[in-house]
Amino acid sequence: MKFPAFQAAQSYNLAKTALKSDAPGASAALSPQTNQVKPSPAFEAAHNLAKTVAQREQAAQSMMAGGADPHSVVQAMAAAELAVETAVTARDKVVEAYQELIRMPV
Amino acid sequence: MNPFAKISSLAVSGMRAQAHRMQVVSENIANVDTHGYQRKLVTFDNVFDRTSGISRVEIDRQYLDPAPREEVFDPSHPFANEEGYVVMSNVSIMTEFADAREANRSYDAGLEIFQQARQMYTSLLDVLRR
Repeated sequence: MKFPAFQAAQSYNLAKTALKSDAPGASAALSPQTNQVKPSPAFEAAHNLAKTVAQREQAAQSMMAGGADPHSVVQAMAAAELAVETAVTARDKVVEAYQELIRMPV
Repeated sequence: MNPFAKISSLAVSGMRAQAHRMQVVSENIANVDTHGYQRKLVTFDNVFDRTSGISRVEIDRQYLDPAPREEVFDPSHPFANEEGYVVMSNVSIMTEFADAREANRSYDAGLEIFQQARQMYTSLLDVLRR
């Protein structure tokens, strides 16, 4: 049986792992679980998010060092902020759907 | 690439260009009393980025203002010619300040676009939040 909410929760879990770990190792570790060679879209999205956040951190670091172009730094940080906000909103929606199902009287 | 990322990239390219223009203006103002200095001018160019499909603004080239430089009579100056005249710069403080003000306004416009795009995206996300 297909269970979208469960899949969503699983995707969220994948996203969390992808954020914590490095890209090649994480995809290798996750591929047996998802049972496919190509990484899942959720994983891709999470990995892109992780990359954006990493760019932001790098930009912030170079800004503190004083060498970077402030425009690029502000752009990178704003982009990362929006990416995180998007991810958080999507996650909240997914968790909300899951909780709705949990609360359903059987 | 989402349109908001494109907008912020464009706005930032404009802001960067205007900041460069400001830098050139400050160079001119700093050298207003330098003998023989020629005022610098900057031109912008429209560069199409094939990967993201947007046309950013970039600094095209800098050139020197060919306007005649002022000659001041000062025989005691080490660079005075035989008649006692020194060639000063062709920088006019008034023009430079007007240029600086213009760069500032354009910069503000870019910044405003940046913030507007960001606000639009946040309002879009608010749809999901209920």
